Amino acid sequence: MPPESPRSLTIRTYQVGFGDCFLLSFEYPTQKRHVLIDFGSTERPAGAAKDLMEQVAKQIRADCESKLHAVVATHRHKDHISGFATKKDKTGTGDIIAALEPDLVVQPWTEEPDIQPDATGPANGNGGGDLQHLYATSLAQMQGFFEPALENLKVLEKMVDSTLFEELRFLGDDNISNRLAIENLIAMGKKSKAKYVYYGSGSGLEEVLPGVKVTVLGPPTLKQSQEIKKERDKDPNEFWQLARLDTAAFVSTSRKRLFEDAAIEENPIYARWFRKQAARVHVESLLALVRILDDAMNNTSVILLFEVGGKRLLFPGDAQIENWSYALRHEEIKDRLKNVNVYKVGHHGSLNATPKTSLWPLFRLRNEEASEDRLCTLLSTLEGKHGSVTSHTEVPRETLLTELKKDSNLTATNTYKQDELSQKVVIHFE
Amino acid sequence: MSGPRTNGNAPCPRTRKMTVIAQDPSVPDAQKNVLTVKLDVPLERLVPGPRGSRVHVIDYDVSNNVLYKPAEDDFDADPYKDIKDRERIESDRNFHAWNAYAIVMATLARFEKALGRRAPFSFPGGGLYPGAAPGRGHVIKVAPHAFLEPNAFYSRRDEGLFFGYFTHENKTVFSCLSHDVIAHETTHSLLDGLRSRFMDPTSADQAAFHEGFADIVAILSVFEHKEVAEAAFWKKDGKPPEKSFKIEDDKVAAEDLEIERLRELYLVGLADQMGEALTNVRGNPLRNSAKLPPAEDYLDRPEFNEEHRRGEVFVAAMLNSFLKVWTRRLGPIGLDEHRPINLGRVVEEAAEAASNLLTMAIRAIDYAPPVDVQFGDFLAALLTADRELYPDDSKYNYREMLLETFASYGIRPPDKAKHGMWEPPKTSLRCNHFDSLQRDPDEAFKFIWENQGALGLYPDAYTYVPSVRPCIRVDVDGFILRETLIEYVQILDLKADELPPKVEKPGSMPNTEDVRLYGGGVLVFDEFGSLKFHIGSGVDSDKQTKRIDFRWQRGTFHQSMKVRRFANLHRMRNLGAGTNRKERW
Repeated sequence: MPPESPRSLTIRTYQVGFGDCFLLSFEYPTQKRHVLIDFGSTERPAGAAKDLMEQVAKQIRADCESKLHAVVATHRHKDHISGFATKKDKTGTGDIIAALEPDLVVQPWTEEPDIQPDATGPANGNGGGDLQHLYATSLAQMQGFFEPALENLKVLEKMVDSTLFEELRFLGDDNISNRLAIENLIAMGKKSKAKYVYYGSGSGLEEVLPGVKVTVLGPPTLKQSQEIKKERDKDPNEFWQLARLDTAAFVSTSRKRLFEDAAIEENPIYARWFRKQAARVHVESLLALVRILDDAMNNTSVILLFEVGGKRLLFPGDAQIENWSYALRHEEIKDRLKNVNVYKVGHHGSLNATPKTSLWPLFRLRNEEASEDRLCTLLSTLEGKHGSVTSHTEVPRETLLTELKKDSNLTATNTYKQDELSQKVVIHFE
Repeated sequence: MSGPRTNGNAPCPRTRKMTVIAQDPSVPDAQKNVLTVKLDVPLERLVPGPRGSRVHVIDYDVSNNVLYKPAEDDFDADPYKDIKDRERIESDRNFHAWNAYAIVMATLARFEKALGRRAPFSFPGGGLYPGAAPGRGHVIKVAPHAFLEPNAFYSRRDEGLFFGYFTHENKTVFSCLSHDVIAHETTHSLLDGLRSRFMDPTSADQAAFHEGFADIVAILSVFEHKEVAEAAFWKKDGKPPEKSFKIEDDKVAAEDLEIERLRELYLVGLADQMGEALTNVRGNPLRNSAKLPPAEDYLDRPEFNEEHRRGEVFVAAMLNSFLKVWTRRLGPIGLDEHRPINLGRVVEEAAEAASNLLTMAIRAIDYAPPVDVQFGDFLAALLTADRELYPDDSKYNYREMLLETFASYGIRPPDKAKHGMWEPPKTSLRCNHFDSLQRDPDEAFKFIWENQGALGLYPDAYTYVPSVRPCIRVDVDGFILRETLIEYVQILDLKADELPPKVEKPGSMPNTEDVRLYGGGVLVFDEFGSLKFHIGSGVDSDKQTKRIDFRWQRGTFHQSMKVRRFANLHRMRNLGAGTNRKERW
């Protein structure tokens, strides 16, 4: 092993409730190098202190000895980036992280500030031109839509089944724009170096992690994803079609009713049943929209494969099959994935973020017999927050969890003891 | 006067004139006002809503939580007969309710005329009073300003048609003011009433069929209104001058009556005028289907597995058939000699051609299998429907032309339909209690039980008879055809390793997976009680392999054949969203 290569790696999985937060500390002969992958939460575990995120931020500071070498924000969902939010008085968790002065900030191509809504020029570099710009812009606008939409819904609350509302609120909250966190990520990147990555692009991480090969497996660019689409049974443009949505169409610019002078009725008998139905239909509609946005956003996740000293570590954020598809069509990539030693379970263990037939079976180190050498899996999750058991959409998904427990050494934050802030996994390199 | 009518010995009117928007508010008439049309809507007792025996407009806006009070219009006087001004049209909510009622009701009446009987809805009724007596719901609820969302849809569960409104370029766009959006959504509800299992996600064709059929009805029903078709020829707005139609002395130039030119008529597309704004409503890619060039391999191309694009192929075949029929009719009156033809005649022939094809298309539903319809099945049904009423096809050769046109889009009747039409059963079967059979589902079930072997039905499947429908159809010459249609459905629940011999499970499906198979058919009896046709496929048919595979790949397998929600379908089309069952846990 060349002298500049790390000897070992400590991975800390922090307790953030429903969210992700991992610190990778590479131990070199003369120093350590620390990479933070995501820091966000939408919900604390029951009984956790209100300042849980602050405690985690401070713990990260201690664990990385006050210096981060890189930050990876896989995608812009709250449960992955809320911890990067700053406060005016500089006491936010994001301020703590910013003070660790990361040398590099890695984000998906969709976050490149030049293609955000306030862009002055078209996107360049990763091959999609105007469409790419439109897509990223639409994602951001869609996020902007949820806040007023959720606000408007309050009047319907009594008319509609509460479980629908809870799901809408949870997903809506995760999809609301995290402006302060996003700005902080941009600012940290500007101060040092920002890298907006896509399948096949450099990650920038090799520079801060000598001797470690880091491959970006996702997200695909628009062009790349369209290549897949042509081969599949979908409209070629469909996956990224958010670009077509005119968000203004959904957002009421005023709370005025449509026909101000028209006579209205209170609650006549003839309309009672139908009003409830209509309210339910509308809430379902919004929920479906939120879900689509949620999936689209998950699919912007950065997927990173770290290779060092004969070991492989896979961090896919919340990527779902649509994101994975482009990487998985390359045999050479599939071969490398076969020997993954550490797998960060995608999307908190949801039903569709660990592709069941095209990814999971690739991992050769799965083994029912417990041993130190078998596959190591990391799961950051919180039960009862997302999906439902009756519709087989609960997170974490029971069938996946069973498989993870059976075939791998699983670290799962939902099994941490009260007040336990993190658990460590140590990997030794050859 | 809105009460029941008695009129001494004078003949009672059967319809009421109702002025509605011909296309949408952006389509002008010759005076640059909004083009309107007077519909003949079946006369019935109407109360404020409007609310009648089949349609109840409830103007509830969810987004603002406001219920508008219905107007006390004089329904018999056609209070909107002079409405022309766009601003007034867009700002008068009473007119919106009126417009929605009239178009829904006219579409329903169009179905009833073709079917020769009442067109039912599929929702069970009693939604308002759960646990009420079983049966069918009679009244569909219509919300013309349902919510702020670029979407319009039919929902069986909610017994309603919902029309959204939205802002586009700082203007409010009302989907309830678009004729073809209303006709399209109403057709979904009526098709669902005739074939409730067509909303099951069993195959790419079936998923596409609902959309395609709804578009066909929307487009052809517009051509039935001559004044609208005529205006389409005059209209030049927004089109480059070279695309305008040459009309001199009220005559259309012969070169403008070639099929390629007629495809340019905006009526051949859908909701073209609100155009871009309305693509959000239905996510409708079908507007230019007629321009899809023929190719026999569309249905095998992966991208045409997506239901809307697949529907486009079906619509293309139907619309090009319509254009061919139309031009064929123009032949003897001038086109053959390349002479200009009087515009009035041109649109009259269009109305005639559209009317015939629309009647055939609606009747064809009666001859379509009740479960998992394929485009080819529908083609066979269409040709059979035509032959039953018009045995002699020598004048315009409609049937040959339909076969050719559909074939040019890769749609062919199934092998068992010789000459493209359904054949009588091999064993001739008669019902000895025909009188009772025409009314009674139990009698129909008994017939099925007695003839299980001859009909080739799987013995252990759960079987039920959703409908028994006697009908009387009249052709243009007054010829009457009496038929009785009996629909049956079969359901079979099995584990994946218990599938019938001809059915294979997908490779990645575990043996223990629960599989539900649907089969069924329609039995068509003539007026003497003899079985004329048995159309459908069984639960053990080899077609099941494809169906299971489709649902497995599409991720609809565990939705236990839940009714497809049009709301979602339209939205999915707009925004793109997919699922892949085999990759899920």
